[in-house]
Amino acid sequence: MKIKTYQFGEVEFTEDKIIKFSEGLYGFEQLKQYLFIKPDDSFFFWLNSIENPNIAFPLFGLRLVDGAYPQEEHFEGFGIVTLNNNPLKVTINMKAPVYINQDEKSGFQKIIDSDKFPVHYNLFIE
Amino acid sequence: MLVLTRKINEEIKIGHDVTIKVLSMTENQIKIGIDAPKSIQIYRGEVFAKVIETTIEASQASLQKQIDFVKYKIKKVND
Repeated sequence: MKIKTYQFGEVEFTEDKIIKFSEGLYGFEQLKQYLFIKPDDSFFFWLNSIENPNIAFPLFGLRLVDGAYPQEEHFEGFGIVTLNNNPLKVTINMKAPVYINQDEKSGFQKIIDSDKFPVHYNLFIE
Repeated sequence: MLVLTRKINEEIKIGHDVTIKVLSMTENQIKIGIDAPKSIQIYRGEVFAKVIETTIEASQASLQKQIDFVKYKIKKVND
């Protein structure tokens, strides 16, 4: 199968590469199938929608930011990154983690309603 | 919208598993207790709205140039 993505041009994939989000992501509930990719020239992982290939989210491992970040068994936790041309303004959403199980090809998002976890956490320092 | 009037310590049941109880009240704040199965996610409405806003923003942000993020350090929590 092939999709034409906004970020990466044409991407070819097989069905077993599809990560299913049965409830979608917040604000994107209708999109349930994603490719989870790490392009060689990208610092981030990407979640690219198959149903709407123009929608893609950069992801970064939350445990790399906070070693004590809440885990889900068999899933790896990622934060959605809001990119900015100034790296010091790049933020990661720590309040609504995206959990992915690459073996089971499934994922889900949840909200951790705690003031400890901001939606815009500055990811980089100089 | 279904509208119910409750007094302190009175409850509302939603289905079999969810109980909402009015715990206390001041002039402009109501404290509510919720009992629900772990599988049901509970969060404040404004938090939900903020998450959606942030996710939409993230889906639209793109870089005008290639940036070498490796040159920067990750800002770790508790650093």
